[in-house]
Amino acid sequence: MAREFRRIPVAALCSCVVFVCFGCARTDPHVLTFAGSAVGREGEAIRRQLDSFQALHPAIRVEVQSTPDAADHRHQLYVQWLNARAADPDVLQLDVVWAPEFAAAGWILDLDRFRPQIDDFFPATLTANRWNGALYALPWFVDVGMLYWRKDLMARAPTDLDELRQLATRGTREQAIPFGFVWQGARYEGLVTVFLELLGAFGGAILDDHGRVVVDSDRAVDALTWMRDSIDVDRIVPASALTWQEEQVRLAFQNGQAVFMRNWPYAHALLQDPSQSRVAGRFGIAPMPATSGGSPTAALGGSVLAINANSGDSDAAYQLIEYLLEPAQLLTRARIVGQYPPRPTMYETKELEDALRIAPSDARRIIEHAVPRPATPIYSELSQTLQIALHRALTRQQEPRAALHQAGTAMRSLLARAELDREQP
Amino acid sequence: MTGRIWGIGRRLAIAVMVSAILFPIYWVAVASFTPESQLFGQVDLVPTRLVFDHYRAVFSERALGTAVWNSLIVAGATTLLCVPIGALCAYALARLPFPGRTLVLTSVLAISMFPQISIVSPLYLLLRELRLIDTYAGLVLPYLTFAMPLTIWLLVGFFRQLPRELEEAALMDGASRLRTLWTIVLPLSWPGLTTTAILTFLYCWNEFLFALCFTLGPDRYTVPVAIALFRGQYQVPWGQILAGALVATLPVAMLVFLAQRRIVAGLTSGAVKG
Amino acid sequence: MMRDETRLGWTMALPALSVIALIALGPILWAAWESLFLHDLRMPWLGRRFIGAQNYIEALSDPRFWGAIGHTLAFAAVSVSLELVLGLALAVAVDSMTRGRGLVRTAMLLPWAVPTVVVGLVWRFIFETPAGLMNAVLVGSGVMADPPIWFADPEAAWVPIILADVWKTTPFVALLLLAGLQNIERSLYEAAQIDGASVWRQFTAITLPLLKPALLVALVFRTVDAFRVFDVIYVMTGGGPGTATEPIAMYTFSALLENLRFGYGSALSVVIFVATFLLALIAIRLMGRRTLIEPAS
Repeated sequence: MAREFRRIPVAALCSCVVFVCFGCARTDPHVLTFAGSAVGREGEAIRRQLDSFQALHPAIRVEVQSTPDAADHRHQLYVQWLNARAADPDVLQLDVVWAPEFAAAGWILDLDRFRPQIDDFFPATLTANRWNGALYALPWFVDVGMLYWRKDLMARAPTDLDELRQLATRGTREQAIPFGFVWQGARYEGLVTVFLELLGAFGGAILDDHGRVVVDSDRAVDALTWMRDSIDVDRIVPASALTWQEEQVRLAFQNGQAVFMRNWPYAHALLQDPSQSRVAGRFGIAPMPATSGGSPTAALGGSVLAINANSGDSDAAYQLIEYLLEPAQLLTRARIVGQYPPRPTMYETKELEDALRIAPSDARRIIEHAVPRPATPIYSELSQTLQIALHRALTRQQEPRAALHQAGTAMRSLLARAELDREQP
Repeated sequence: MTGRIWGIGRRLAIAVMVSAILFPIYWVAVASFTPESQLFGQVDLVPTRLVFDHYRAVFSERALGTAVWNSLIVAGATTLLCVPIGALCAYALARLPFPGRTLVLTSVLAISMFPQISIVSPLYLLLRELRLIDTYAGLVLPYLTFAMPLTIWLLVGFFRQLPRELEEAALMDGASRLRTLWTIVLPLSWPGLTTTAILTFLYCWNEFLFALCFTLGPDRYTVPVAIALFRGQYQVPWGQILAGALVATLPVAMLVFLAQRRIVAGLTSGAVKG
Repeated sequence: MMRDETRLGWTMALPALSVIALIALGPILWAAWESLFLHDLRMPWLGRRFIGAQNYIEALSDPRFWGAIGHTLAFAAVSVSLELVLGLALAVAVDSMTRGRGLVRTAMLLPWAVPTVVVGLVWRFIFETPAGLMNAVLVGSGVMADPPIWFADPEAAWVPIILADVWKTTPFVALLLLAGLQNIERSLYEAAQIDGASVWRQFTAITLPLLKPALLVALVFRTVDAFRVFDVIYVMTGGGPGTATEPIAMYTFSALLENLRFGYGSALSVVIFVATFLLALIAIRLMGRRTLIEPAS
């Protein structure tokens, strides 16, 4: 009886050890993982591209690691994985504003070791991916804020904000269009991108060339006041826009309910689809107009590709990134998803025109006016502060000057606390 | 007469309370077999149609099977590690008069009341350094923090209840303490050992905070974490969540059915926390 | 002989105690040490520098911290009171049962055995608006024509949370008290009845005083548990709306794993630990060394 008893605990202990060791080994070193947007058209495109990559490189297998759709959730998940020093995912699709944060935290790899070819990228897209002088991510596609205008209601797009206001007013008063101008006014990152464009139109900025916060300058106050007045005074923007994100804005314009819309390029293909859109063939795109004190500004958005600092196979990961950034692959994405490539030379080709179904020169012009958001590791905190202030001013809970002053002070102290308020080289 | 009223009143009270206890479980069980479109709106106490869609979905799309496997391994390994080591310590605390014993017992009790969140930060940094985040070992190790004191506490209670005469007789015959433990005490304490094992397994199975902090993805999620993180694209996938909830509850419910008397005895003897 | 026993005792106890020291005690001391540093994992360029009590000062001047403490205390007070009263009622009722006790005991164990996360999800399902079961019952029976949007209302959200916790733990408290009740000599009641004491008088004069130890045990253990509440609130409201239902454990979790502020989070951890430790000490003192260390057999 005693002998049998002796066997059980020994067996139990052995199985524990086995289980526990079994649990330690995790990643298969020869499988690359890619994390990014993988649903809908983007999912279709990435799967096709990964298949052809694996056909070219039989020794490398690539799997997609699924992430939530919403940008905030994906960001939180990345932070959780990378902070835990997980080896997966190897390649990450990052929103353009996350690159400095991840680079400064040491979560993504410095790409200069691979000596990437960077002459054929829009310069603004590269600046946002640098930290302390090194390059940490490569741009994958470019998003720029644009003005969508109704060709059937006017001869040409407005060149300044006053003209836009006039045309919008005329549309609502005389042409029975419910809304003059629609943009993303909900309290989220999209609002900051819209504000950025109006800010540039008045000649303001969030940070100046020395990295100092200037979001409370007079020009910024003018820009925010213009936005607020467009809702209450000029009445060309509906109050409900203050709860709208990209999709609601697009639907309003798509149903013919707006004279002007500010949105990203993705809307273009959807608006051109006659089965859904009431404005198919009756709209155009143009740069956001400005005032005499500023210049037409497009907020620079889009995604970049980076390598996990703890990746098991960074060489293979870089090969995948190189592949995805080849012009042929960028063209595939343009065709399937309608995303703008980050390479200027492609905008001179006919293939891109066919793929995007808009004149590449128009798109290129807008991209070259694009202004990135501040490339700082604490961008998400700065953005939160600014979003709150902007929304408060737009909902008339606070005057624009007071709101921006408060935001500016808070942003300065955030930068000071992170010790990022010294001049950047 | 008042006795009659009290009698009826008591019986009614029990009936009401037992129904209140069991009804939510019943409701969830029914809902997990109800098509998603009918989950809200109609209140059918007895369902007319039963569908298995949600269960199919949680095991195929949501990989709940993996989570069940993970829970089994982690809870099982923790129990298998804690019970033998804890039994050794508990026997010493129950029978051997060594100095500092009282202090140890008090400390063990105090540690079992630790708020788990308080050790998340150092454990996280430690596990990260050892590259154990998102592994089985990376969960078993933190689980030992509450499982070990629990095991010791329960087993001290059990060992104390055993009659000393048998051990004393063996010692008188010249057997060593260890031999007495092995040949006499252990066979007698199978009920206590199994109860302790069941309770330890149960606590590990139900654990949430550590599993949430120290795992990164569906490959290593335990069952509670997996169902807590079911996210739909546009709406909350209630049918699947409830199916998952039932799957999470089934093993522990079975344990309760099989061993309720022992469990109650174990819990109330040592006046253990809830 | 005695010295051998002592050495044997320590040897047998050592493996378990070293595990506990390493995995439980060690980390707590480390957390206390860590709380004196600025350690933000998102900003490694700031390094890990010694800042003394500054994390604690920040916590004490943070309204969100005090809100979390307030929520936790209020939650503990309400749910523990409800659990004790209802648990006592249930225990008294079950104590008088002559048949079917086993079945009732099984039923009472079920909520305790169900994972807390599941409990939270179940009750969130029941309270879901607009057409969850609770609203259907409230509106259908005419009790409340226009029930609040439970989880969007900072005050109403506590109702499902507390209900879920009470549902889960009352039966267990009842079991604890039942064990205490069963230790009371029946003859005491018989004698009181002969003396003409009413049922209520028997309850207040015999039951309650003799049940005091069990009540205290239940009170203390439940309070300590209520203080570290996390699971049920995480799945029901996530601390929301905003931070209206955020308990201190969740605020600490957020500081640590969402904002990656390990220094500050460690300070919060120490605060929770000290509070719980004090409660535990009171518990042990109240229960008395006799009940605890040398139980009456």
